[in-house]
Amino acid sequence: MLRLVAQRVLALVPLLLIVSVLTFSFTSLLPSDPVDLILGESGTQEQHDMLRKRMGLDQPVQVRYAAWLGKAVRGDLGTSFFSSVSVTDAVLQRLPVTLSLTAFSALIAIVVGVAAGVAAALKPQSLADRLATLGATFGQAVPNFWFGLILVAIFAVGLRWFPATGFVRFSESPSDWLRSVTLPSIALGLSASAAIARQVRSAMVGVLQQDYIRAARAQGLSRSRVILRHALTNAMVPVVAVLSFQITVLLGGALVVEQVFSINGLGTLAIGAVRQQDIPMLQGLVLVMVALVVAVQLITDIIYGLLNPKARPS
Amino acid sequence: MSAAAIAGESDAPRRSRRKPEASMLIVAFAATVLGVLFLLAVLADWVSPYDPLQQDLMSALQWPSSAHWLGTDDLGRDVLSRLIYGCRIAVIATAEATAIALVIGVPIGLFIGYRGGWWDWIVMRVVEALVSIPGIMVAIVIIAILGPGLHRAMIALGILFSTSFLRLTRGVVLAEREEVYVRSARVVGASETRILLRHIFPNIAPPLIVQTTLTVGAVLLAEAGLSFIGLGIQPPQASWGTMLNTAAAFMDLNWFLAIPPGVAIILTVLSVNLLGDVLRDSIGRGIAAAAPPPASAPRVAPLLARAPSDSPQSSRSDEMLRIEALDIVIAMPGATEIPVITDVSLAIAKGETLGLVGESGSGKTLTGLAILGLLGPVLRMTHGSIRLNGRAIHDLDQKALEAVRGSEVAMVFQDPTTSLNPAFTVGSQIAEVLRIKNGLSAEDARRRTVQLIDRVGIPRAAERAQAYPHELSGGMAQRIAIARALSCNPSLLIADEPTTALDVTVQQEILDLFRDLQDEFGMAMMFVTHDLAVAADVCNRIAVMYAGEVVETAEVDALFADPRHPYTRGLLSALPQGSSRNPPLPIIPGSVPRPGTWPTGCRFQNRCDRRVEACEARIPLVGAERMVRCVHYQNARLKAVLS
Repeated sequence: MLRLVAQRVLALVPLLLIVSVLTFSFTSLLPSDPVDLILGESGTQEQHDMLRKRMGLDQPVQVRYAAWLGKAVRGDLGTSFFSSVSVTDAVLQRLPVTLSLTAFSALIAIVVGVAAGVAAALKPQSLADRLATLGATFGQAVPNFWFGLILVAIFAVGLRWFPATGFVRFSESPSDWLRSVTLPSIALGLSASAAIARQVRSAMVGVLQQDYIRAARAQGLSRSRVILRHALTNAMVPVVAVLSFQITVLLGGALVVEQVFSINGLGTLAIGAVRQQDIPMLQGLVLVMVALVVAVQLITDIIYGLLNPKARPS
Repeated sequence: MSAAAIAGESDAPRRSRRKPEASMLIVAFAATVLGVLFLLAVLADWVSPYDPLQQDLMSALQWPSSAHWLGTDDLGRDVLSRLIYGCRIAVIATAEATAIALVIGVPIGLFIGYRGGWWDWIVMRVVEALVSIPGIMVAIVIIAILGPGLHRAMIALGILFSTSFLRLTRGVVLAEREEVYVRSARVVGASETRILLRHIFPNIAPPLIVQTTLTVGAVLLAEAGLSFIGLGIQPPQASWGTMLNTAAAFMDLNWFLAIPPGVAIILTVLSVNLLGDVLRDSIGRGIAAAAPPPASAPRVAPLLARAPSDSPQSSRSDEMLRIEALDIVIAMPGATEIPVITDVSLAIAKGETLGLVGESGSGKTLTGLAILGLLGPVLRMTHGSIRLNGRAIHDLDQKALEAVRGSEVAMVFQDPTTSLNPAFTVGSQIAEVLRIKNGLSAEDARRRTVQLIDRVGIPRAAERAQAYPHELSGGMAQRIAIARALSCNPSLLIADEPTTALDVTVQQEILDLFRDLQDEFGMAMMFVTHDLAVAADVCNRIAVMYAGEVVETAEVDALFADPRHPYTRGLLSALPQGSSRNPPLPIIPGSVPRPGTWPTGCRFQNRCDRRVEACEARIPLVGAERMVRCVHYQNARLKAVLS
């Protein structure tokens, strides 16, 4: 298992490197000169030159990249052009917000998706199967932010069970945290749970036809035990293989859903950075997100290895 | 069988995703929605009741009324009109982004797939990097460079979605590049462009069409999302995304604002996705082959009403298993029941091994599964009884059946590599049974597991218990399966072709193991096989099955010395050694008729060289010690009695 982890981590280094080159060169393509943006029309030529020098913009692009990468490796992602706060600090401050939203919605998506997929697979063509298939088809067509709005209308404005906006940190009050992330997470998790339900269903239908399921039943193990232990463990193998993709989608979706609930997470930060063309902030955001995605991939790879003995290096 | 629906053995044909009529309905629905969308987009200037930008602050945030069918927004603009103009934006936006994605993705995919080498490596690494960033973030960065707005946002989405076209095209090209026709085109000197366009491109078209539909749905959602967060279409222009942006600000005052654009997005995306699903299904399998017509039940000759059973069998005191007049049918909803097992009666004494012999399709395995109550949802026992140690087990409820399985009757299956769960170590699969069925502690179960593995002749048992099924050879895996079956000391072991999937050299070892174990554990055994030689090796008695019924039963020696049913004789003559004992007979022509196509009367008549008119009538199984179901034997007996 250690070897697997080591292998994966090593394989991720080039990916991170390529992403950093990409983001750096992309953001260097910004049409407007950041010095003009910051100083506006007002500054004198000397002021412009001085700022340019201080920001290192007079250097060739490869030198700037090397300097940026050198700092990034040590956790320093630069300073925002506009608020003069450290990008690392700004991102780290918002990270728990987006992360808890993504994680909680992933949990909901997995639980709902697996339950619906299994229920559908147990009796193909039954009412449960039809409902699950219908739900999955709809779930993938509903925009998460619209679903969020509807949830707000019903459960926040109408029933007043949950707050309509805002986010409470887990460290401040776990119960308020739960209340604040429930609606956004349900909104966000819907389409992922639909996708997972589809995958679980088809995997489970296949597994239930396998000889080892019949053999386990012939050995007198109970129906629920055979389904939940023997069948589901195998059915989850292909599902886990694409789970990291689903979580990547959730992370992206969180950026939008945050806006519905006025949650101050990475999404708000990113939208602000785009409007202001805040290059260091955008670079930092992309890099942190890729790092997150990569971490998720690593975790799902490990779970995949645990579920599927054939995938382990011997 | 009362315990019908059992997970795991659903023999239901894999469902084709949709029935043809259903997909026609879906296509009709989707086409209607998209047709209306297009019409509204084209005719927006004429059909929308108001100017979508015309403000009227006096009537802001109104609920639906006769003047404003869908109400008004915060600036008093007519929601219906904005929705209709939103159709136009939706069509333009998705067309633009999808076209850009195609124009970027397909040529690059063609190029790198065909060229390979460094180009391929570099482009694919970049694509991998792009794909590992959440899509919306990629779009955000591109919009940061280009600036917001309809067309620029769509360029961003086009670049984002081009990766899926690129990968798809590259994959197809890689596969096609080495095809014979492409190579031969190259040999005759066709230019590379010509090869790509004339020979390879047509193969990419079908998957590209499917991918395009899927992309259109995703683009619609992404465009709405970008406009919602204010980075796509800019106000005051009416798009569904910007309308939702407005709605979000006034949820507490007028929640209805969110409904029209939301429903429009859902309906459109749903239609496009459904269309994509149908396309994928039909392109993937070929429309004609998508769903074979449900097997209409062939006419089945009504089974003769019979006396309690026409196959009496002397009851013996040391009987372990007794099956009486067993009938099993295929019962599909909405179809006539098709018999697969009729009037099967068998008995096995303590310590005895009964061979159940016949070609595949004769119903041997089903008889075994019926004993365990594992027939599944499609097969149903309609008549007869199954008794184990004198107790009826065919009408037990699920719980009681589970108690019988494993503990009193256990089964070893044909293919050991598929009958062990690939996710768990072989030791844990045996230990699980010991813990659950026998209530052993984890420690005791482990110790007993190692003993069992050792007992079935596997060296270094403790170490092998830690192995996964895929790490074992077929013979080794079958020994494990046998060890698991024996773990609860069953009084009856059903072995279903346990050596068929194994190498010939291993077969004999496994057969020896069965004989040894039976002596040691003193259980009765039902040995299902198509191979009379194997049966002769391990069995005391043999029941020959053909097309769902028993045609002959006898002690092994008697059967080999004097086979009475023509089918038995045919089976014997097919054995290599058989021919030395009997005059050589041709191998039985034809094959076992499928259930539902059985002839009335003797089911073997169409393959029999001794067929007479009387074979058309139903033939009972007659005899005492040995029994035969054949008109010739029946006549012989009759004559003997009469004279």
